[in-house]
Amino acid sequence: MIITRSWLNEWIDLSDISTDDLVKTLNSIGLEVDRVHSYSVPGKIIFGRVLECEKHPDADKLNVCKVDIGTSVRQIVCGASNVRAGLDVVVATIGAVMPNGIVIKPVKLRGVESEGMICSAKEIGLEDCQSGIIELDSSVGNYTLGQELSENPIFSDDLIEIELTANRGDCLSIRGIARDLSAAYDRSLKEINLEDTHEDKRIGIGRILSLSYEKDLNVNLRYKAVDLKNLDLPFVLKLRLAQIEEKRDTNIESLLLYVTQSTGVVLRAYNYSFFAGEEDSIAKIELIEDENGYACVHAKEKASTVGINQEEASKATDEEATILIEASYIPPDIISKQMSVCKIPSGPMYYRTSRGSEPELNQGLGFCLKLVEKYSASSIYGGNIELCDAYENKVVSVSKKEIDEIIGAVIDKAKITKILKNLGFNTSKSQADNFVISVPRFRHDIVNKQDIVEEIVRLVGIDNIPSKPFVLKEENRLKDDYFLFKKRSLYRHKGANNGFFESVHFVFDEKKTLNHYGFETTKEELELLNPIVNTLDTLRPTLLTGLLKATSNNKNNGYASVKLFEVGSVFSPLREESLKMAFVWSGEKEKESLLNGGKPSKIDFATFVQTLSNVIGGFELTQHTPTHKLAHPYQCAQVMINGVAAGELFRIHPEVEEAYGIDVTYVCELDFTILPFTLKTAKQYSKYQASYRDLSLLVPKSMSYSELKAVIDANKSEELIRFYPVDRYSDKSLGENVSLSLRFVLQSNDKTLEEEDITSSIDKILDGLKLNLGIGLR
Amino acid sequence: MKEWYNAINQAQSVEQLEEIRIAVFGKKGILADEFAKMKSAPDEEKAQIAKDLNTHKANLTHELMQRKIVLQTLELEAKMKAEAIDVTLYGSNCEAGALHPVMETMDRIIEYFASMNFSVYTGTMVEDDFNNFEALNLPKYHPARDMQDTFYFKDEMLLRTHTSPVQIRTMMQTKPPIRMIAPGAVFRRDYDITHTPMFHQVEGLLVDEEGKVSFANLKFILEDFLKYMFGDVEVRFRPSFFPFTEPSAEVDISCVFCKGHGCRVCSKTGWLEVLGCGIVDPNVFKAVKYKNVSGYAFGLGVERFAMLIHQIGDLRSLFEGDIKLLEQFQ
Repeated sequence: MIITRSWLNEWIDLSDISTDDLVKTLNSIGLEVDRVHSYSVPGKIIFGRVLECEKHPDADKLNVCKVDIGTSVRQIVCGASNVRAGLDVVVATIGAVMPNGIVIKPVKLRGVESEGMICSAKEIGLEDCQSGIIELDSSVGNYTLGQELSENPIFSDDLIEIELTANRGDCLSIRGIARDLSAAYDRSLKEINLEDTHEDKRIGIGRILSLSYEKDLNVNLRYKAVDLKNLDLPFVLKLRLAQIEEKRDTNIESLLLYVTQSTGVVLRAYNYSFFAGEEDSIAKIELIEDENGYACVHAKEKASTVGINQEEASKATDEEATILIEASYIPPDIISKQMSVCKIPSGPMYYRTSRGSEPELNQGLGFCLKLVEKYSASSIYGGNIELCDAYENKVVSVSKKEIDEIIGAVIDKAKITKILKNLGFNTSKSQADNFVISVPRFRHDIVNKQDIVEEIVRLVGIDNIPSKPFVLKEENRLKDDYFLFKKRSLYRHKGANNGFFESVHFVFDEKKTLNHYGFETTKEELELLNPIVNTLDTLRPTLLTGLLKATSNNKNNGYASVKLFEVGSVFSPLREESLKMAFVWSGEKEKESLLNGGKPSKIDFATFVQTLSNVIGGFELTQHTPTHKLAHPYQCAQVMINGVAAGELFRIHPEVEEAYGIDVTYVCELDFTILPFTLKTAKQYSKYQASYRDLSLLVPKSMSYSELKAVIDANKSEELIRFYPVDRYSDKSLGENVSLSLRFVLQSNDKTLEEEDITSSIDKILDGLKLNLGIGLR
Repeated sequence: MKEWYNAINQAQSVEQLEEIRIAVFGKKGILADEFAKMKSAPDEEKAQIAKDLNTHKANLTHELMQRKIVLQTLELEAKMKAEAIDVTLYGSNCEAGALHPVMETMDRIIEYFASMNFSVYTGTMVEDDFNNFEALNLPKYHPARDMQDTFYFKDEMLLRTHTSPVQIRTMMQTKPPIRMIAPGAVFRRDYDITHTPMFHQVEGLLVDEEGKVSFANLKFILEDFLKYMFGDVEVRFRPSFFPFTEPSAEVDISCVFCKGHGCRVCSKTGWLEVLGCGIVDPNVFKAVKYKNVSGYAFGLGVERFAMLIHQIGDLRSLFEGDIKLLEQFQ
């Protein structure tokens, strides 16, 4: 909603209020100011009058004018086609600096002296609202020839753009905003006399028009008839429509729009002949319900749908003819409910009607006819034809105590009464400390106590309410979700501390890609109905594709090493949500530096597993064949945490690496709920020295370490507290075998182990290995 | 004897000094020699010779020790000098990762409210119409329910457009008093320079006995919270409209970039809108069958907070895992 100070001033006198103050007030009463644009026509641009206008002797398109500029008469050459004698115009005199920077100087145009310039709206920095030069008229107010334009409020004004909330349809007009400001500044609106003083001299509308309706459609309609003749729009009206960035095809539509913008009443103009009957019978308007359930104005055919749109054929034109002007009101909840049931194409008025237009129809219709009389040679028919619903104002009761409690401060009773009165509410039935408030129809948004409190809050000003801490009952409010937050926080910090960057991706992903890589996506009958783009058309079943895409982007940005992680939700085909944590490490192990001679090695399985255990703690890996196609078939493991499968860890399949354009890449995706988040307990530990033994075993290449491990576990003595591989070596002489060195750590709780204790432990393991796997020392 | 003093003081290494020590003090050294010679001297001179020799012995020992300290110091210095490093070659070469600025901002927000005795509830992303709209006084014909704004599924479920459904579910499952926040991802069908289809919110709710919770209480906690998040800023409340609160307000802070003087970020207004809040609408309580209660609610967008706090210009960059952005938070 765009307003200007001069336009607003026609409805409420705020000439003593600065624009800064006005903007502050608008914001504080809940009419949010989005933008303020001040403009002023530069100095030495003045009001003038064309006294004579003759064709230039040597140029077809130029005119030589004698222009009265108050102090003198100047000769000015003008190229506009609409310049003529008798016209009041805007003159840029010698020395004027135009908004585009040009300085006006005396010039010779094809041999004729010209002392100044007759200006168009655009040339003086205004919206382009009129073709050719500005034709001034009484709409800009009083002026004298020679006076600077900047002294006139139309030419030096502030444009204020307000962003209205959805509930304030009553402020979609200059008058509506003036009404709210009248409460804020405690001053009354200007009275605009809408009475028709010529009423008795006019032919009654009833002689040419009748209205019938088939059933109660909750609609208010009011018609006036006009014999339209020579409607000419005044300059200010054209300028203001250009300022609010609206344009209509005909003068009559422009005028109606101006009135709607001024008063909030929704208006339409019909061509009378659309409704005219046979021969001499009078025209008939029928109000009916159409096939979609909307109230419609009808002749033989549909003329308009109330509050929604108008049919082209029924529209009035600027031709000399009889027209009907209609003011309408339909309750916003009725129209928007109907629109949600059955959507039909809407016109420019729907926004207004669905948010609540002005229900007091004569405010708009009366104002409109005043302007028609002023700016045309039309004659108006007397009386009007109308259809009104029976409406009684809503009544809301609220006590002073309730108001004070909701606000949290004591508000003066007289102040409350005054605020409500200025907002147009009737409080005459109030008793003692109980307010009984009758709500005017234009405030359809006010239905309960809290709505009334809101009105008081916004006019008292929230800044004037002192802040107060809430007094609460102490209670332990640390619930499960808080501990989940702490757990996420813990693992995220560990991830970051181990060199991974936290990444966040949309939970949407591309179905085609996911299916291609063998992931099952959301079942068809549960799928997204209205995805935003094709590449985000399903819910992700994995975090990995998002991370791989980010890896690829980073690689393209020149990062040779990419380490990312994400904690986020994924969805099963049945759309069940679960939390995962995933890691990706791609390309080089570390940055190029003195440490690696500028040639860092590529990430490998062992380093990835080592780093991951720094993040998530202890785990084991088992051989695994995944259901999807992202993994390298020979470097893929299942991650077991405390004996429970927690997820997958693998190298990306070389073909997939190629498809994403990335280097060697390892990933791991884990079920976040399985990651441990419990307090640790300390075990008893031995005070005696530990002993170490390294054994090199000759093992077939095809044998999995897990087989060895199982046998050692089955044959280990109480003293063997730990064993782990430390070297794996192969060469030609070993053939199909490898040499695997294991370190055994032995320790007793009772004593320092003797050589024979150690030997007997180790021998038992060697015997077991020989017996079960047929392997022995190298 | 004098030449030995010179020899000690001219020794160039600890080894050379050791050779001198042996030559002077050793079993076959000159001192032993001199003492031996003394035996053949006349008796009356013996005492004087012995005294002189002992003086030399003490002096030489002292000189030897002194020289040794000097030489050791010089040798250590030489050794260390050989180990010299051009420290300027080395600098920060951080191999650490970093937390995502949005998640880190979310952490700070949660920590504030947890310390103010708010519970945390998270809920699910797939929601139904009742919890996301109906119960929040967003009737079927409300413009915010337009297909343009909400992601729907084929079975009429939807992706939550705010975290308010978590509040509805919590109210239905527990009894007042309630003091909670609901942090999490939310979804709107909007994708341009200033909108992403997924973003994060934290919404808060307080419910207590009727007449107990006031707008003044809401003002207190939000003013305190915004100062905790943004430091020394001015806080302004503007009346506004939300279907689920009444009275409602939008909360602005003085622009963190221009300190309220007006700049491009704040559209020359000096203020930045950061929060929406209000007193819970009676229709919301009616929907969850609460009686005789009062409450306040508020909600904020985490991305907006993160962008303002960390001066991040591009919203979409937050969802691309872009290391160019993330490495700045190491």
